[in-house]
Amino acid sequence: MEFEPVIGLEIHIELNCATKLFCDCPNNPGDEANANTCPTCLWFPGAAPRLSEQALEKAALLCLGLGAELQPRSAFDQKVYYYPDLPKGFQLSQAHLPLSRGGGIEILDEDGEPRRFRIHHIHMEEDVAKLVHEMDGRLPVSLVDFNRAGAPLVEIVTEPDFRSAHQAMEFLKVLRTQVRYVGASECSMETGTMRVDANISIRPKGTDQMNTKVEVKNMNSIRHVGDAIAYEIERQSAAVGADEAVVLHTRLWDPDKRVTVSMRGKFEGPCVPDPSVPVIELSPEWIEGIRARLPEMPAVRAERLTREHGLSADEAGMLSTDPEVAGYFEALMGAGVAAKPGLHWLTTQLLPAVKERQQELGETPVTPLRFAELLQLLAKDSINANTAREVLGEMFESAAGAAEIVAARGYAQISDRAELERVVAEVVAAQPGAVADFRSGQGKALGFLIGQVMQASGGKANPKVVRELLVGLLG
Amino acid sequence: MRFTALDDATVVQRLRSAGIRICGMTGMSEFGLGLTGSSAGRVVETKHADVELVLDLMGESRVAAVRVGACGFKPSYGLVSRYGVIGLIPSMEAVGLLARQPRSIRTVLGCVAGADERDFSMPEEPVPGFDEEWTVPAGTRVGVIREACSGLTPEQLTGFQQGIEELRAAGCAVSEVSLPDYPLFSLVHKIVGSVEAASSTGRYDSVRYGPRAPGAKNWNEMYLGSRGAMFGTLVKSYLFQGAYFQFENYAAYEDACRIRARLLGQTQRLMQEADYLVLPCPPRGGAEEKSALEAVYAAFAETLWANVTGQPVLALPLPGSAGAVGGIQLMGPRLSDARLLALGEMVLDRRKGDR
Repeated sequence: MEFEPVIGLEIHIELNCATKLFCDCPNNPGDEANANTCPTCLWFPGAAPRLSEQALEKAALLCLGLGAELQPRSAFDQKVYYYPDLPKGFQLSQAHLPLSRGGGIEILDEDGEPRRFRIHHIHMEEDVAKLVHEMDGRLPVSLVDFNRAGAPLVEIVTEPDFRSAHQAMEFLKVLRTQVRYVGASECSMETGTMRVDANISIRPKGTDQMNTKVEVKNMNSIRHVGDAIAYEIERQSAAVGADEAVVLHTRLWDPDKRVTVSMRGKFEGPCVPDPSVPVIELSPEWIEGIRARLPEMPAVRAERLTREHGLSADEAGMLSTDPEVAGYFEALMGAGVAAKPGLHWLTTQLLPAVKERQQELGETPVTPLRFAELLQLLAKDSINANTAREVLGEMFESAAGAAEIVAARGYAQISDRAELERVVAEVVAAQPGAVADFRSGQGKALGFLIGQVMQASGGKANPKVVRELLVGLLG
Repeated sequence: MRFTALDDATVVQRLRSAGIRICGMTGMSEFGLGLTGSSAGRVVETKHADVELVLDLMGESRVAAVRVGACGFKPSYGLVSRYGVIGLIPSMEAVGLLARQPRSIRTVLGCVAGADERDFSMPEEPVPGFDEEWTVPAGTRVGVIREACSGLTPEQLTGFQQGIEELRAAGCAVSEVSLPDYPLFSLVHKIVGSVEAASSTGRYDSVRYGPRAPGAKNWNEMYLGSRGAMFGTLVKSYLFQGAYFQFENYAAYEDACRIRARLLGQTQRLMQEADYLVLPCPPRGGAEEKSALEAVYAAFAETLWANVTGQPVLALPLPGSAGAVGGIQLMGPRLSDARLLALGEMVLDRRKGDR
């Protein structure tokens, strides 16, 4: 029998808010252990939660960015379970009335066709503390770091729409881009600001039954999510093929062995409405205020870039995945740089140079205006490409403008035909062998001769003019 | 519990900044639930203090007051900040006030009431003016709840009827009103209250503070050992009851929430028939000394209504031997706290004048 997988995703995203969700403690889990704690997030007797306005706004922005519908009424519930990482015996989460419902993301499927995957709902919740088990020493101890306890999270729950690892991975890539776009989170699976659980079941292909699912956790990259899903599909298909029952449980992805390992039975504790956090009522005006803060989302921006600057869909799509890069590109366009060379120089020269220097695009001294000046010198044939690369390197070190550097270093390209004719004549006279080769039809010789002229001019000759002169003289 | 709070509760802060002298602490029952082991009312009775603050989860401040012939008041839900209050039932509990005179309650309540940025569960509603002179209009309608009198002894019933006569003599239009669902208040309090209590006490896990039971091999044993040693019998039964509804019978909890909403609606309708509702306040409390949960519910059967609906309620002692007869409860609509206290003042002033 042929099986098909049914996959749903639960994605936890840590919001990059200044404070925790229910108190004013800094939202910096990486600080010295237990530095960021207070009577509220440690749940001392008498503590009362106060919902952070910024967290609500960021979460709402994230929902709108994913096309979801904010609910006029949402509320927090207590997810009851006892564990030392949970300071009050329950986690505040929105189980019954989530912040938003609906929404979805369009991706390109394996066959290159666009396909939309639906989001069931998005809710807010608080993170738990971090447990550190020190097993060395005379007495093994468990330590708890409450810096992360109460950190603001949203959980995005998808519909079980995915039928392959590829679809899930593409969805996560686009989701990550969109959440970064609205500025709600860095979404790093490596550092844990984005965590993905996959719920996977299988069924005979072509049926619409929903079978017992298995939850897989602990993937710390999108690739691992794909690998874990692929592994789990194989494992379950083999099990069902061998007439074994699939039981509801949680498995962990082991990235070294590249297998999923059974962790525990899936525990579903009760969810009781919380009496201390007030019901969240969002007015249409408030929602529109948040919507007005929504940046242009990547798909919309890509479409506009194609329309305004004549980029291909691929180019525009690639450019739009990173709001900083897209913004830089648009600033270049605004400074009068042509689209194709602008895109080319941005992606092949500037971005690698910035990365090499471990800078952020938004903070690099080579601002769009300075870079535009350089590209315009290139467009006017004032310098050639080699020189431009060299000047770019110097622009990272000095505050001088591109034209200034060119003038100071005498980099200006020689396009004056009379001056170049003299150099060309010298080279032709000095290289009779290469001239003979060229005349006998060996194309390579022309490149050699151009190189010789460039060298003789100290790299400043305009290679286009040199080529014309050589062909004219020898042809 | 070997734990010192880092901060004053909002009520304490406000009392201090209003220049009110805090002269001692009332010994409460465990988490304020019931009156076993509680000294509530003692200092007001002995005139060592003018006002006493007592947590009111199901009527403790009112029952304790009438036992000693004093007045007990539970403010409207959300009128007084619960920041710093160590309680059990966030949606029902309130800081109750005990005093010999409703006037003292009004003065202190005026100091502590009002929005607190540290308690987000408080509604942003205007606080009734406690400084204003409230007069009780003639013909104020008072509705006596028929179903609330069934559990009284003949002596208590006579005392209660005397209290109603006082209201009539003061110019109130007294009528009998009926709420057939009256017994459900107790049921709702049982289920919703204990579920909230089970959650509220989850924090006492001995991980971050409090005594930790020695010898545990893992965290689970540590929880069981520490909590087992820490909680008293009554609270344990209460938490078991809450955990039962959380984990084993959640449907009953959902039903109780729906019934609570219905009772709220029925109460609001009754509040259109009458300006105030009247119930007895038998001087039971302490009957739960066996620490049996059922005894606690029996002791507070007449007082827990206002906790379920969040209304303000004032218990006045009845004339005569208060210890045996108990008191009368006057319950007003939400945020009618100031005029409710004015009504109480008028009744007691007239009583004093008669003597």
